[in-house]
Amino acid sequence: MGLIGSYNLRSMIVRKGTAAMTAGGIAMVVAVFVMTLAIAQGFRATLVASGSPANAIVLRKGSTAESTSGLLRTDVPLIEDLPQLARGADNRPLASPELVVAIALPRQTDNQPANVPVRGVGPKAFEVRDTMKFVEGRQFAQGSREINVGLLAVGRFKGLTLGSDVKFGNATWKVVGIFTADDAAFESEVWGDVDLMMPAFQRGGYQSMTVKLADPSMFESFRDTVDADPRLYLKPQREQDYYTQQSQAMTTIIRAFGAFVTLILSIGAMFGAMNTMYAAVAYRTREIGTLRALGFSRFRVVTAFLAESVALALVGGVIGCILAIPVHGLSTGTTNFTSFSEVAFKFRITPALMAGGLLFSAVMGAVGGLLPAIRAARIPVARALREI
Amino acid sequence: MKFIALVLKSAKRSKRRTLLTVMSVAIAVFLFASLRAVLDGFNAATEASSSTRIVTLRSTSLFFSMPTSHAEVIRSTSGVQDLTWANWFGGVYKDPQNFFAQFAIEPESYLRMYPEIELPPEARKAFLDDRTACIVGDGLAKRFGFKVGDKIALQVGIPIYGTRDFDFNVRGIYKSGGAAVDNQSMFFHWKYADERSIQPGQVGWFIAQISNPDQATQVAMAIDQKFANSPNETKTDTEKQFQATFVSMFGNLNLLLGSIALAVVITTLFVAGNTMAMSVRERTTEIAVMRTLGYPSATIFLLVAGEGLMMSIVGGILGVGFARWIVNPDTLQVGAFIPVFGVTNMNVISGLALSALIGVLAGVIPATAASRLKIVDALRRVA
Repeated sequence: MGLIGSYNLRSMIVRKGTAAMTAGGIAMVVAVFVMTLAIAQGFRATLVASGSPANAIVLRKGSTAESTSGLLRTDVPLIEDLPQLARGADNRPLASPELVVAIALPRQTDNQPANVPVRGVGPKAFEVRDTMKFVEGRQFAQGSREINVGLLAVGRFKGLTLGSDVKFGNATWKVVGIFTADDAAFESEVWGDVDLMMPAFQRGGYQSMTVKLADPSMFESFRDTVDADPRLYLKPQREQDYYTQQSQAMTTIIRAFGAFVTLILSIGAMFGAMNTMYAAVAYRTREIGTLRALGFSRFRVVTAFLAESVALALVGGVIGCILAIPVHGLSTGTTNFTSFSEVAFKFRITPALMAGGLLFSAVMGAVGGLLPAIRAARIPVARALREI
Repeated sequence: MKFIALVLKSAKRSKRRTLLTVMSVAIAVFLFASLRAVLDGFNAATEASSSTRIVTLRSTSLFFSMPTSHAEVIRSTSGVQDLTWANWFGGVYKDPQNFFAQFAIEPESYLRMYPEIELPPEARKAFLDDRTACIVGDGLAKRFGFKVGDKIALQVGIPIYGTRDFDFNVRGIYKSGGAAVDNQSMFFHWKYADERSIQPGQVGWFIAQISNPDQATQVAMAIDQKFANSPNETKTDTEKQFQATFVSMFGNLNLLLGSIALAVVITTLFVAGNTMAMSVRERTTEIAVMRTLGYPSATIFLLVAGEGLMMSIVGGILGVGFARWIVNPDTLQVGAFIPVFGVTNMNVISGLALSALIGVLAGVIPATAASRLKIVDALRRVA
């Protein structure tokens, strides 16, 4: 640092109006960058959180989502009998055959009907997904037309509060409990007894089966056993892999969109930084001449002005991150196009994302400051000193 | 007007700075116009939907189907003139990445009720005569190089249609005569899909033509009433409402794209305002001399503000030009998501208006500062 560092820092303070405007421009870019990526991050985290390392999901061979999969009733006992499955206190296998359909419910925000996933689950479902916790009410009773609703779904759609009656599948269902699931996609779902949902939705079979393995390392042997059984036309996947894959397409689209917008916007902000730094160099021609006459090398002058530009941009980056923080935790929703139903998720700003935003601002500062800094170093000493 | 030369002269004073400012406005306007185009593209189908078509779905959600016997009941509802139906097929062309919409339609009535599907008469006849025929939109045809006479094989996406692939003959390429039908879809005979369905005789949605658009709500309610308390209850809405549901699936696009556009404008205001302030500061002595010579402060204000406005508008023209050039279906492949896509004249006008607004806002503070300069102080100052 030394003299030259404090000189540049102090010049920045002298020109606080211009510096603030440049930093402001960069702050906006970083805020947009962090916010759009926070959407992608949140969506991905929600789906990934839905998978547990000890769980496996079984779908029909060739299908990539529960909505296009099908499982026969006779498949269920064949899988339940496999030795790799964990067992509950009653020595029954921890497996849940499930049916997922979507029902149309109006959104709270715009009253538009949205597709809310309804999941019929087996008796062991809450033991298979051990992150589920009830915040209100209780678990639905087997064999009754009761349902549980995820906390995010309650906030997002009309008529799902505790105690209300919901009409779907030619029957009326009572909400008896509201659950959370560590931010997983299940929080956007409605759960009920699969054996009642199947006739209600006129379906003759299940769509998927989720099982808890006695140990995560048993997945390979579980998969091989199912594969080898000629009676089963099914494909087990690690639950985590399945949900990661589900999030891929959407995450890629959001990221690509965010990158496109911020990249273009950052060019504009870089032009701003360049302008500011060129002006800074022009105003201080005489001072630069003096520095050079005192013996500071061209290289030192370049690095000093680069550092000034990067510091300016970093201030903008920090402001941008702070501007973005309030959206953290806000919940929003979009359609998961692999299941064609709505997933609610929360904006998620991680430390890594903020670090990315700061790095991005530093890059903008460096690129914007490079040409002006080189210009500063190239000024001939004698001419610079003569300048008014 | 006589001051234009002076404004141009001061803009040329620092060519690099003027260029950078113009480019940053151009980028902002480019982004703004593109975002608007994307948003309009999403909403186009809703805007263009017909007010005389109403859509009947199962009340549970659009994933559930209803029997063809509903057709007679709907047709007999007073106010209904014509009726057709369709199913979502959800097939996969080679790879799930190649997503496009495929509809199994009741061919004759559908083409009759959707004049937006523009098909040459011989292609129409060829399509109607062949049970395994399909027609594809010109946008889709371009995307995959489909030609009349080609065979298309689709893998089954929804288990109800069995496991065997479906083969189709391309009998026509249609043009879209209105945003209610996009040019990125494929239509084929409902019967062909139905005869291989595990659960035959099922319809995804019915579309009814009504005689009087003012009666849409009454007719819709009358239809739904007929199926109330049956195993297949329905929900009937206008085509506009039906389309709006799909747009809202993506989430709150208006808010998302709107906030980004706002951020774009603010960023540019910072950049452009900064430049203007800088150029005024540089010219402090000059401005003081002009004031001494007798230029009124109002003229000085207009000169400085005019310079900002000019740079901004030049940037705006460049920006919308770029947007027109880059953001159109020929250069960007987004057809599957945004069926109607492109920078419209409206987008161009709003982009230019935005650039003018940026110019005025960015120029106003420096221009005020310049017009209020104290001559004595300014002359004494060494820049």
